[in-house]
Amino acid sequence: MRMINRRDFLKLGAASAAVLAIESQFHPFVYAAERLAEGGRSVNRNSGLPRSFLPSTCTQCPAGCGTIGYVEESRLVKIGGNTKHLSNESALCARGQAGINALYDPDRLLKPLKRVGQRGRNSWQEISWEEAYREVSENMNAIRGSQARDLVFLTDDIERDALGRRFTNAFGSANAFGASSIYDANKRAGTSLTWGKEGDMPDVAHSKYILAFGANPYESGSQFVGFARRMIDGVLNNQAKLVVFDVRLTITSAKANEVFYVQPGTYALVALAMANVIMQEGLYDGAFIERWTNVSTAQLAQHLAEYTPERAEAETGVSATVIRRVAAEFASTKPATTVTDSMLSAHKNGVQNERAVMLLNIITGNIDIRGGLCIPRQYDLTDPDPVPSTPAPTVATGQSIVAAMTMIKERKQPVGVLMTHGFNPVYANPDGASIEETLKDETLVKYHVAVTPFINETAAMADIILPETTYLEDWDIEVRSSLELVPFVALRQAVVPPLDSAKPFFDIVVELSAAIGGGMQQFFPWKSVDGWLKARISGIGGLTKAGGLDYLKQHGVWYDPKSRPNYGSYQAGGFPTPSGRIEVYSQYLASRNFAPMPAYEPIAAFRTLSEEKNEMILTIYDTALQTDYKTGNCMWVDEILHDNPAWINPETGARLGIIDGDPVKLTRTSRSGEAKQRSIETTAFLSEGVHPQVVAMANGVGHTVFGHVAEGEKFEKNGTTVTGSGIPKFLQDPNSKLIWWGEKGGIGVNAKEIVPVDMDPIGGGEAWGDVVVTLAKG
Amino acid sequence: MFGLVARVFSGRPTEGLLDGIRDSQMLESLSAFGVVFEEDFLGTPIDRLADDLAGEFVRLFIGPGHHIAPHESVYVRAEEEDLPRLWGKATVEVANFYLEAGLELSTHQTPDHLGLELEAMAVLAEAEAESRETGDLTSAEEIFDMQLVFCRQHLQRWVPRICSDVENETASSFYRNMALLTTSLVEMQCGADTIF
Repeated sequence: MRMINRRDFLKLGAASAAVLAIESQFHPFVYAAERLAEGGRSVNRNSGLPRSFLPSTCTQCPAGCGTIGYVEESRLVKIGGNTKHLSNESALCARGQAGINALYDPDRLLKPLKRVGQRGRNSWQEISWEEAYREVSENMNAIRGSQARDLVFLTDDIERDALGRRFTNAFGSANAFGASSIYDANKRAGTSLTWGKEGDMPDVAHSKYILAFGANPYESGSQFVGFARRMIDGVLNNQAKLVVFDVRLTITSAKANEVFYVQPGTYALVALAMANVIMQEGLYDGAFIERWTNVSTAQLAQHLAEYTPERAEAETGVSATVIRRVAAEFASTKPATTVTDSMLSAHKNGVQNERAVMLLNIITGNIDIRGGLCIPRQYDLTDPDPVPSTPAPTVATGQSIVAAMTMIKERKQPVGVLMTHGFNPVYANPDGASIEETLKDETLVKYHVAVTPFINETAAMADIILPETTYLEDWDIEVRSSLELVPFVALRQAVVPPLDSAKPFFDIVVELSAAIGGGMQQFFPWKSVDGWLKARISGIGGLTKAGGLDYLKQHGVWYDPKSRPNYGSYQAGGFPTPSGRIEVYSQYLASRNFAPMPAYEPIAAFRTLSEEKNEMILTIYDTALQTDYKTGNCMWVDEILHDNPAWINPETGARLGIIDGDPVKLTRTSRSGEAKQRSIETTAFLSEGVHPQVVAMANGVGHTVFGHVAEGEKFEKNGTTVTGSGIPKFLQDPNSKLIWWGEKGGIGVNAKEIVPVDMDPIGGGEAWGDVVVTLAKG
Repeated sequence: MFGLVARVFSGRPTEGLLDGIRDSQMLESLSAFGVVFEEDFLGTPIDRLADDLAGEFVRLFIGPGHHIAPHESVYVRAEEEDLPRLWGKATVEVANFYLEAGLELSTHQTPDHLGLELEAMAVLAEAEAESRETGDLTSAEEIFDMQLVFCRQHLQRWVPRICSDVENETASSFYRNMALLTTSLVEMQCGADTIF
């Protein structure tokens, strides 16, 4: 050890004091000797730190639960549920609580970055916001008014991203796309074609009989926690019987009264056979059918006659006896409802599946009654003046995001500037590898701006990344379909100020519009986000009377306290369909040569499934812990779910010589005209909890670019490089060392990589569930 | 002495601070601690040096991508904590120590930030010196004990480790030497049973 004497110390002390004397601003502590009490203990220990509570809204998944942020010394220390919120009441799931991981994630991007070197190298230099705005606005002005090179805006939920939509339209582009087609587009189309409104709201808390088709509400769903709570209410307090049809033993199945495996893709046949039984046995609600649908009971009975329980048994694997019994129970237990989710509709026959299941509610009169299948209730928000005029459409306008990306790839839709807002198509879309190739190609996408709190797979393909705040530092008005059937308005308020240089999306849009100029800024006349939020809720009179935005800031949510569920809401003005009735027969479908009545259309690829070739059907399921591309770097959820072994039935395992824990390889069976086969590798998880012809994998893991938690040991190799600082080598992050699952593929694999672009021709929604793979020991 | 390294690890260095450190008398004092700066620190014009080190500070301690999180709770986890995090149990212990020691935080930084922990040592040393000057030896002894306890319970268990990470990860002779100096100071302070 170095020999240092007292004199050295004194000298350094004196010299330091002299230097620090000029550093007048650095005084983080106030020393208050009088606070010392006997024994060196503070008399103020009970006063602790001041703590504030801020109601807000979670966006870790689409549910939009009400939260309370507990803030000490400007730091968010805990996120809990808001007891006043109509949706989740006081509960909050793991993802919601792990939001704090995202906020204080050491991998967060806090400065604007500009790419160095080739696009896709993921190498960056830090730039100021001024430089970033200048650069983006120059690139945008270069294409303005040019139909040949349009602005294309990609976001997660286009309905909720009102600012993104407005920005795109104000610039003169009609091409703002949401990601509905990779989530629930088929369900939306099926419900909308049937009763004129997108979506449904099963009033499960008051049901006596609940039939779930490809739905797993105890683990996932668009209103996860709130819906699960009500379903538990229905099952426990209301003694509802729960019957589940699925291809996998889900958490919901595990707690159901009865569970039946269904041959993948044949849900509609089960539902139609049940409907047939209900008609044949005379268990239907004739008055409802005659008054409120556009078909007669006779027509219906005749249409359904071909769907005999015996035929269903042969094709679906569900016995005719079960179909008869469950159909009779469903029809004779009032009230009853069905519950559906993406596992039902993410097929090429998804829209028909949804319509077939809806039919069960329709013919039993369980529509919009207490305990039945209800029409969604939700407030509409104002699109405040001045509203940009609707720009002229281009070839991709109005298409789904999946179709639009294909058009860009095929050079049908030229892109001058691509702006991705918090959305990660390279990870989330089918065939992500080809999206990555598209984004890398500067002749296809001339310029790419990514607006995101994290550098992810898509942002890595950008020319410039603008660091957006996380949802916990940002504001928005949040509305959702009400589980209580009483519409509500909620606020997402910043629970802490933006970290470092990150900016809320409102600020980015307003400042960028000003930089672009040319009249664009007139569409954003609000001085602060408060003005925008007030304008958004200005059409809701009751809220304005209650105090408007100030009320929301205090309580987080508002609903009319005198309001009660208006069951039978359709009786006043009919259904918002062309006929004013429920359209069991759809003229729209007939005119486009689709089956006009709910029908079963077999999945062609499943018909030729070959056991000899070891062909299986891939099912990618959602969990309670990961939301697609959003939560992957949150430590608290990743520690529970970071891997996604392939669920294989032991019967199948025995046939293929695969035992639990074996490495396995899934190769998508190639289709004609396809250049490359795509395959993924994982390990086998042998379980009776999966249909013998299905191989099931969880969604939301296996990131290649996101952060140290999501990437595991790959992070050390993947690290981004910031030039100008002199050191290109990667830093060893102490956090990375603590990820015990990060080795040997412990971070899982993105199963969507091998899913091809394939859509339901009616709904345009991706057919995630129709992928045939070859399973082999790896 | 802790005051200097506290300032260095709390944020980007100002030109004034760098100028002060490059002063010949200061350099001489530092050399006794084995601090040997190189040309990158000594020979770069002050405005550029401040810019360079500002960038290096961000890269080392803020990100994006790989960086060193300068918080005790990231380096030291309580037994029941499996997760690396900001505001962990260690942070609370540090916060409680500040309360008991009569140190009130006036910033929004986390209490267990490297810069703050070092600053706490500096403030306590100053308070101790004042007590001594006014002849309140009982208080002086108490405050001395506090420094020892804080150093042994907190600084010692993580500061040498983070400093070693900094030394390994930076090419800047400024941050490398400041890390080295910090480790020396902590080791010497923790080993002290009398006052230097």
